[in-house]
Amino acid sequence: MILYDYILSPSCYKVRLLASLLEVPLEVRPVDFHPGREHKSAALLALNPAGSIPILVDGDLILTESAAMLAYIAGQHGPGWLAGSNPVDIAQQQQWLAFSHRLTHALGGARLVEMLHFYGDLPALQASGIAALRELEAALFARRLSGGTFLVADAPSIADIACFPYVALAPDGSVSLDIYPSIRIWMRAIRALPGFIEMPGIHRLHELAPDPFEEASL
Amino acid sequence: MTPVNPVGDGTYWTMAAKTDAQWVPVAVSADILAGTVVPARLPTGPIAVWRSATGNLYANGDRCPHRGMRLSHGFVRGETLSCIYHGWRFGTDGACQKIPAHPSVTPPKTINCGPLHVAETNGVVWAAAKEPAEPPQFYPGYEALRSLVIVSTPAAIAAATNATIIDGAIQTTLGGQDAVLLMSPQGPQEVFILVLARPNLNLADRLAVSSALEALRRSAEAVEGAA
Repeated sequence: MILYDYILSPSCYKVRLLASLLEVPLEVRPVDFHPGREHKSAALLALNPAGSIPILVDGDLILTESAAMLAYIAGQHGPGWLAGSNPVDIAQQQQWLAFSHRLTHALGGARLVEMLHFYGDLPALQASGIAALRELEAALFARRLSGGTFLVADAPSIADIACFPYVALAPDGSVSLDIYPSIRIWMRAIRALPGFIEMPGIHRLHELAPDPFEEASL
Repeated sequence: MTPVNPVGDGTYWTMAAKTDAQWVPVAVSADILAGTVVPARLPTGPIAVWRSATGNLYANGDRCPHRGMRLSHGFVRGETLSCIYHGWRFGTDGACQKIPAHPSVTPPKTINCGPLHVAETNGVVWAAAKEPAEPPQFYPGYEALRSLVIVSTPAAIAAATNATIIDGAIQTTLGGQDAVLLMSPQGPQEVFILVLARPNLNLADRLAVSSALEALRRSAEAVEGAA
């Protein structure tokens, strides 16, 4: 499985993260998204006419939407990460996958303006990002009241992986996460999953690693 | 240029120092898990509130004395708080215990992260820069449900609930349930709200209070937007 990847892209990170959590090997092909705009090159447009990354190639199968890649990898290697046969769970998973596109547009858009000086209406992008974060916070608070940690059912799913990166990187677009306690607890649960990997701006939980001072005193 | 981000944009704002020795509601107890640190605010500035592995609560300034990194980005190990940047480690008294780059150095007592006073009542975490004379206000028959920030003013929030502000709080009903809104202004246009509800509510009633709180925010922010 080949992933056309950019290290700073939260959408590419979704695919790398799920592959790592499910211990699926990926052949990563770095794309010079910025400043090279390699995703608009003839070679990559031949794979994906939309000119976006990530692109996942597995034999004859070419996927250009990260949510579809998550569904494909989970379907092959971690069926527990897909909502089961319960129609409510299936629908909620679709709901959050669609919601993740709002996060990409709003928080991801603000991030591209702030980090890479893309053109965009920054205050409008930030305002719709804050509206989405408020919605997510309320939903996760409701999940906590019922004893749940993740977005759908009782276990982490591709819905969590689809929503996590753009939320975690909201501060890159100058949108604060300080005021969302249920989002904080949810992000911590994702970062504590075995096999979790980092990307620039999303670090691992250092307290889960051995204490260097205790090691030194052995 | 006016900051578009309502909260936590890194702006260090200050208000009158008269609030230094007052208990301020800063978080819901249940939102600070053992072994974690969270950001919060006092009128005097940003703070980091953390719960040790054994469940004890501490607070200090949200700034590492080394390079100014926010300690709320750091991590808790056992009964200590560490900075994410260079790992300076602080104890429950706020004193620096370890400097990883100089493992053989015992840090001088003068290096500390500005310890604050904390207390918990009704599932509310309170903090104060200087020790208040009295314990924090206790609301019998209530417990903390959730917190949020309303981009508005206490007066607009009171108007949206048809209630008056007493001791910095509003007593009202939300979703048909008794509720107390503790308020902590975060600046001229932001109010941290911590809602208290009756402890024996069932799941549906708690959700109703939470939904009504969201509706109150829409209403209070619309009032403010129209002004």
